Amino acid sequence: MKLTVNGTEHTLDVEPEMPLLWVLRDELKITGPKYGCGIAQCGACTVHVDGSAVRSCSITVGDVDGDVTTIEGLGTPDSLHAVQAAWVAHQVAQCGYCQSGQIMQAASFLDLNSEPTDEDIDNAMSANLCRCGTYPRIREAVKTAAKTLNEA
Amino acid sequence: MKIKAIIAAVLLSTSVVQAEEINLEVPQNVTLEQGLEAWARMYEVVSHPRCSNCHVGESDRPMWSGPSYGKARPHGMNIRAGESRIGVETLECATCHVGSTSDQPHTPPGVDGDWRLAPVEAAWFGRGSLEICGQLRNPETNGGLSFQEIAGHLGHDVVLQFAWKPGGGREPAPYSLEEHASDVLMWGAAGMPCPTE
Repeated sequence: MKLTVNGTEHTLDVEPEMPLLWVLRDELKITGPKYGCGIAQCGACTVHVDGSAVRSCSITVGDVDGDVTTIEGLGTPDSLHAVQAAWVAHQVAQCGYCQSGQIMQAASFLDLNSEPTDEDIDNAMSANLCRCGTYPRIREAVKTAAKTLNEA
Repeated sequence: MKIKAIIAAVLLSTSVVQAEEINLEVPQNVTLEQGLEAWARMYEVVSHPRCSNCHVGESDRPMWSGPSYGKARPHGMNIRAGESRIGVETLECATCHVGSTSDQPHTPPGVDGDWRLAPVEAAWFGRGSLEICGQLRNPETNGGLSFQEIAGHLGHDVVLQFAWKPGGGREPAPYSLEEHASDVLMWGAAGMPCPTE
């Protein structure tokens, strides 16, 4: 089975029923996407498939139809994605466990909705849980990222 | 603009995946009584949580109701399907409802097609037999479909077929896809009668 992750094609020897998150973390050692709940209720495992946010714990690798991007492939330390830069600017992370999922969700959301209202942001991000309660900073960072992307 | 392109792609794609063969032969000499009996069975299906939870009318919030959910309540996590009915304005339904349905409890079900709410005019949740029957036979509220086309769309719209194989310990809709399509045809052949007639 072939799977392209962050621009690199991998050949996998796994069962097609294996969740994508297991493939990323255990087979490919790409550990940015986190295991939280395992049932798509927390958002910590969020990655992109062809640019759309997907909970990688709840899609089997056999059902993946497109190229996968994880937090490792969204930007680089020298060239951060606008959402990552906004996260740094607002010092969003506290413990950080949920943050790669939050950032991937926000990046996908802003790709679809470049001028979100506060309500849009809350609705888009409310399925990504943060036990540290960084939600006010998440909302501000998403607004900053939207502004950056619109000025680019 | 991107949102509109995605909605257009979804509308174009929903009728082509994993079609299931169902018999669309219209029965002959169906009596009014038989038609009403067919409707009664159809109502059991359309009012079942596997169907009605996503037929929420003007609301853009899917429902969680049925034996495995306890008290009926809106979908957790403040999910909004938006005007697109697929959540593309905020959080796409397909972020979680993607790929095949797992048999593990509490996991999000998926189909090989686009997970979405029913159109606004197909409002069923919490409504009675007479009201839904009237909606289903009115071209203005049934998508302009004949009864044969209603039966036909059961065969090719895979998100509807989920109702009979929901996985995850969820209760399936009553009867079967084939029996439901057969009842639609029988009800139609009888003149689409509703209970007061």
